[in-house]
Amino acid sequence: MLFNSYAFIFFFLPLTFFVYFYLNKKRLTEASKAFLVFASLFFYSWWNIVYLPLILISMLFNYTLGRELSQYNQKSRTYSAKKILSVGIIFNLALLGYFKYSDFFILNINRVIGSDISLLHLALPLAISFYTFQQIAYLVDSYRSETKEYDFLNYAVFVTFFPQLIAGPIVHHAEMMPQFDMLKNKVMSYRNIALGLFIFSMGLFKKVVIADTFAIWATQGFDVAQELNMLEAWVTSLSYTFQLYFDFSGYTDMAIGIALLFNIQIPKNFFSPYKATSIQDFWRRWHITLSRFLRDYIYIPLGGNRKGEVRTYTNLFTTFVLGGIWHGAGWTFVLWGMLHGFALVVHRAWQKLGFKMNTLLAWFITFNFINIAWVFFRALNFESAIKVLKGMFTGAIILPVSWVEYFSFLKDWEITSGTWSKLYQGEFYLGFWLLATFIIILVFPNSMEWKKKFKPNLFYMILTVLFFLSIFMLYRKSEFIYFNF
Amino acid sequence: MLRSKTYVKVLFSILGLIIVSTIGYVVYFAKHYPIPIMDHISFDAKIQFIREHVNIDEIDTVVIGSSLALNNIQGIYLEKDSQKVSHVLNLSVWSIDAPQVEQILGLTDVFPKLERIIYSGQFTSFNHANSFKNFDVNFLKRYINHTLNPLEYEKFLFNGCKDILFCRDRQLSWVKEYGDNHKFSYLNFDYTGSAPLNMHGKDIIQKRWIKVDGAGQHPNALKALERMLKKAQAKKIKFYFVQTPYRQAMIDKYPHIKDIMQSFPDEMKSILSPYNGTFINLHKKLHLDDSHFADRSHLNNKGSKVVSEALAFDIDLYEN
Repeated sequence: MLFNSYAFIFFFLPLTFFVYFYLNKKRLTEASKAFLVFASLFFYSWWNIVYLPLILISMLFNYTLGRELSQYNQKSRTYSAKKILSVGIIFNLALLGYFKYSDFFILNINRVIGSDISLLHLALPLAISFYTFQQIAYLVDSYRSETKEYDFLNYAVFVTFFPQLIAGPIVHHAEMMPQFDMLKNKVMSYRNIALGLFIFSMGLFKKVVIADTFAIWATQGFDVAQELNMLEAWVTSLSYTFQLYFDFSGYTDMAIGIALLFNIQIPKNFFSPYKATSIQDFWRRWHITLSRFLRDYIYIPLGGNRKGEVRTYTNLFTTFVLGGIWHGAGWTFVLWGMLHGFALVVHRAWQKLGFKMNTLLAWFITFNFINIAWVFFRALNFESAIKVLKGMFTGAIILPVSWVEYFSFLKDWEITSGTWSKLYQGEFYLGFWLLATFIIILVFPNSMEWKKKFKPNLFYMILTVLFFLSIFMLYRKSEFIYFNF
Repeated sequence: MLRSKTYVKVLFSILGLIIVSTIGYVVYFAKHYPIPIMDHISFDAKIQFIREHVNIDEIDTVVIGSSLALNNIQGIYLEKDSQKVSHVLNLSVWSIDAPQVEQILGLTDVFPKLERIIYSGQFTSFNHANSFKNFDVNFLKRYINHTLNPLEYEKFLFNGCKDILFCRDRQLSWVKEYGDNHKFSYLNFDYTGSAPLNMHGKDIIQKRWIKVDGAGQHPNALKALERMLKKAQAKKIKFYFVQTPYRQAMIDKYPHIKDIMQSFPDEMKSILSPYNGTFINLHKKLHLDDSHFADRSHLNNKGSKVVSEALAFDIDLYEN
């Protein structure tokens, strides 16, 4: 079920909300948790019930191992805790690898050794990348005695809680479960309802109005056009840059808003990433919970910055290559991860050397690097990515006919005049959208800042109502980009 | 600053009011304007017309095609002047190609007494081969037959109007093209579903009067015609293809139009005859002058009356 669907907004969410709090009001707290798990699994199965057994098996297995790890010191054991943890991690990665990377692996084997092994054509189970990472984090935390869980129902709530189940944020057991156990959180909070609705409606607006509008232009440039002139190529790449941000941060806002209705605080996942003035700054603002996971469970275990400069650079680079692969089984994702890893290495070296840069220039370089790197992230293959990049840097420059007399001297520079774009002809509002979006991302507060400022007054009520009017555009139903990862 | 409880109550009241008003508008819209089924106002209007105004048990003759059938054939004169034709339904909608005609003819199962199909067109009817996307013929039959259950009907209404802004645009365009008292107000259907054009003199749009049509014939459009014939033959329904008149001045001026006007009848006959279909060339038979035309190929009500009377005569001739 999609957050941006009528079924979710008008049926699933209100029903789940009222039943959950009704059960809590009747002091049936275990039943309320069981209901929440049931509702979450229903929400998950709405797409395809075939995926349900997989998540259940994964949950049971990880819960069993996590429990073993939590109780490790209380009993005498045959296997060391490290071995149990290794089994858990291998199981999770094998599951993810089988469903997500089998065909990619086979395809490359076939290419390298010229074999003809048939592809498996497995459908990627929804949310597998997210719940796998979340459960690996749980196992490691249990191993480190940072968390423990002896109740399967609680564990099921932690994994399946529907606002964050499909595309994160990737949460820690220790930051979620105490909230479910707090007595005051079992009672409806009008303050949280007001705030939750505001954040949810803002996310809905971001997704339905902004992201889905840019999606049309990005698709035109990436998937439809055979060739792009310079302006078209920049419109295409910027459209995707904005689409991705508003799509994913819109989803996250909706998740945060919905969780707030249930008195649960989900960690923030975005904090104006396109305001970043360095690549390191960007990763502190973009998909924050993934960055946290990569840092805590890959970068630091690899040695982090504790084993000398060269090793630090290698660790940084490796972490981001793995981050790239996590996003998708394709060389374009690998290259995207490598680009970011390389940029982080350069940034670290720059800092080490004590160089400084003008803030505006730093923002300009960072934003453009991110924008260019997203081309590989979005493109279906390298040909498509090169088409866009070629257009961005060597594409034809076409000036409006009315400008010709003023810029006639440019003829020698292979600058022609005519319709600026055949691809986007008739899209009169495109320029306005791009400009307005730049203003939104650079000037306006982000949703987390709005969340902090929120007061139940007329201003926020009007904003909430205006954002909610996005429901009239829900007919343009589209899935969230991160559902594919 | 409000108390949170008051804030939530007021907010829900406003949101509730918006939703209730929206539902109210949708109900009003559904009563007064064609519910969007396809992104094609003429098709949607025709489906609603059939559902609300046509006694489907009586229909023995269906006229089908694009505006060349909708405007050029008047069901009323067919009924009046033919001894064989009793109850006509003009099922035609604007601007459709042969594959779309084929799709719409899928609806004819709802007419138990159907005896004949009259496909009215010109060489231009086969220029393109578009088809409707998501055309659910069984659902439409049930909609026309009033056999949707209330939940299905509500769902249909909801799906039609979920893009509320589209509905609003449709309402405005409907009012503009049908509601106001101007030359297009005659586009309303008569009781058979035909829409004769009362367009003469200064009402004629010059651009359309002299627009030059292409002569290309899309193979998929011709294949669609063949499939229609096959289905009609299997159901023992008589099939007529009527070539309606075309402005002679255009034929004389443009060689490619002259050529296609000469070759088109033979091409049609070669497709129709293996399936016992009948080709009627009313262009050749009637030789209408410009006073009968609303543009190069669409007839005004004077022209469509003459054509319909001639067609009635020919049908009686073929069926006697």
